[in-house]
Amino acid sequence: MSAPASPARQNGRTSLHWTGVICGLAAGVGLGAAEAPTKLVTIGLSPFMVSLGMVAGVFVARWTVPIVLKGSDYVWADLSERPHLVIWALLAGMLWAVANTLTVFAIRDVGLSVAFPLWNTNSLVGLFWGWLLFNELRSAGAAAWTRVLSGAAAIVVGACLTGLATSHQAAGSVHAGMGIAAAVGAGMLWGTMYIPYRKAYISGMNPLSFVTVFTFAELGTTLAFALIYEGGPQGLLSALTAARPVLFWLFLGGFCWVIGDLFQQYAAKYIGIGRGIPLSNTNQLWGLAWGVLVFGEFAGLGETGRVMLISGSLIMIGGATAIAFAAAPASEQVSWRAAMARECGRYGLNADRVAAAVAGDDPLSHGRAGRRWWEFLIAAAALGIFVWLAAVAARPDIPFDASWAAALTIVTALCIAGGGAVLYRRTRFS
Amino acid sequence: MRRQFWPAVLTDIQFWVPVIVLALGTGLLLALR
Repeated sequence: MSAPASPARQNGRTSLHWTGVICGLAAGVGLGAAEAPTKLVTIGLSPFMVSLGMVAGVFVARWTVPIVLKGSDYVWADLSERPHLVIWALLAGMLWAVANTLTVFAIRDVGLSVAFPLWNTNSLVGLFWGWLLFNELRSAGAAAWTRVLSGAAAIVVGACLTGLATSHQAAGSVHAGMGIAAAVGAGMLWGTMYIPYRKAYISGMNPLSFVTVFTFAELGTTLAFALIYEGGPQGLLSALTAARPVLFWLFLGGFCWVIGDLFQQYAAKYIGIGRGIPLSNTNQLWGLAWGVLVFGEFAGLGETGRVMLISGSLIMIGGATAIAFAAAPASEQVSWRAAMARECGRYGLNADRVAAAVAGDDPLSHGRAGRRWWEFLIAAAALGIFVWLAAVAARPDIPFDASWAAALTIVTALCIAGGGAVLYRRTRFS
Repeated sequence: MRRQFWPAVLTDIQFWVPVIVLALGTGLLLALR
C-alpha cells in the first residue's frame, strides 16, 4: 500500500507536513551554524565550561528573538492551560544537560570516532518512542514506514561516515567500557528527551513556551555539573574569569542553537519526532560545511577520507529527501488524533482548542499580541550582554576564510528567514 | 474524565520513562566521575 501524495499546499496555504519539513531543515541549518562560533574557542577551556558558556548563551538568547515573537503574557497563558507540561519541559532540559555531559566522558574514554556514531542513534531512539508512546507511524502503510525508517537510518549512517572521516582523535583505552556506556547513554537520553517534546506538542503547546521552561532546567543542570567538576563556586568563578575573552563566541553559538532548536521543536510539533528529529539532524552537514569552507579543516584529508565525506553527505541528503516525501497518510493521522485524545482525557484539556493548536491555528494567538514595557527592557538587557561580551571578545589567530564565512552566514540567514516566513504565514508561530 | 493533577502525572507511563532514563543517566555520570 502506498501513501497518498500530500499536496504541498492546502487551501492556498503551505501544508502542515511541508511546514514541518521546512522547519526540520531550517533547524539543521541553525544547529549546524551553532558549531561555527565554538571553533573560535582556542584557549584551553574544560568541556564543562564550554557547555556552560553555550547554555548560558542559549538562556540569554531566549530573551531576545523569541520574546519578540510571543510575549510573556502569551507564554504564561499557554503554560497555565497545560500546567502539567512544565514537568516534562523541566525533564527535557535535564535530560539534555546530562546527555551533553556524558558525551564529554565518552570522548575522553573512547574518542570521538567511536562515541559519535553511538550517541548519534538518538533520532532512532526518538523514532521508537514516537511509535510506541504517541502512535507515530501507526497505520502509516508500508511506503511511509519504508521512507521514514530508511531516511532516518540513512541520516545516521551518513552522519557517522562524515564523523569517522573527520575524526582524528586517538581513543583512550583504560576506561573503554565506561566510555561506550557514556556514549550509548547520551544517545538514549537525547532520544528519550523527545518524549517530552512530542507530549507537549500533541497537547497543543507552543514551542516558545516549552523552550522557555526547558532553558531554565538546562542552565540549572549544566551549572550544577560545572560547579561539581570545576571544584565549587570559587573554581567556577576563576574558570569563568579565564573564559571571558571567548564567552562571546560561546554565546553566539548558543544564539544560533536556540534558533535552530526552536525550528526543531516546530518540526516535532507539525510532523512528529520520527520525521522531524532525523531532518534536523542534518545539522551535521552544515557543521561540516563551516569546518571545511571557513576554517580550512580536513585540508590534509586523504582520498579515503574525502570519499567518506562526500558519500556520507550524499547519503544524508538522500535520507532527508526520503523523509520529506513521507507525509503521514490519513490513516496515520487518525492514530495521532487518538494519542491527542488520550492527553485531553487524562489532563482535562479542551479537545477543540488542542486540535486547533495542533493544526497550527492556536486559539491563544487571537488577540494576545501586546507586550509589557519590561519585556522590552529584558530584551534590551539580553542584547546588552551580547554587545558587552563582543566588546571584550578576543579574536583568535586561526585560519578563517572571511568570504566563505560571509557566504554561509547569508545562506544561513536566508534559510532561517525563509523558514520563519513559512512558519509565520502558516501558523503565526503557534 | 479529568483526574487530579498529581495522580494523572504519576500514573502516566510517559512520565516514568524519561524519569527512569534520567535517573540511570545521572547514575552513570556520577559513576564516571
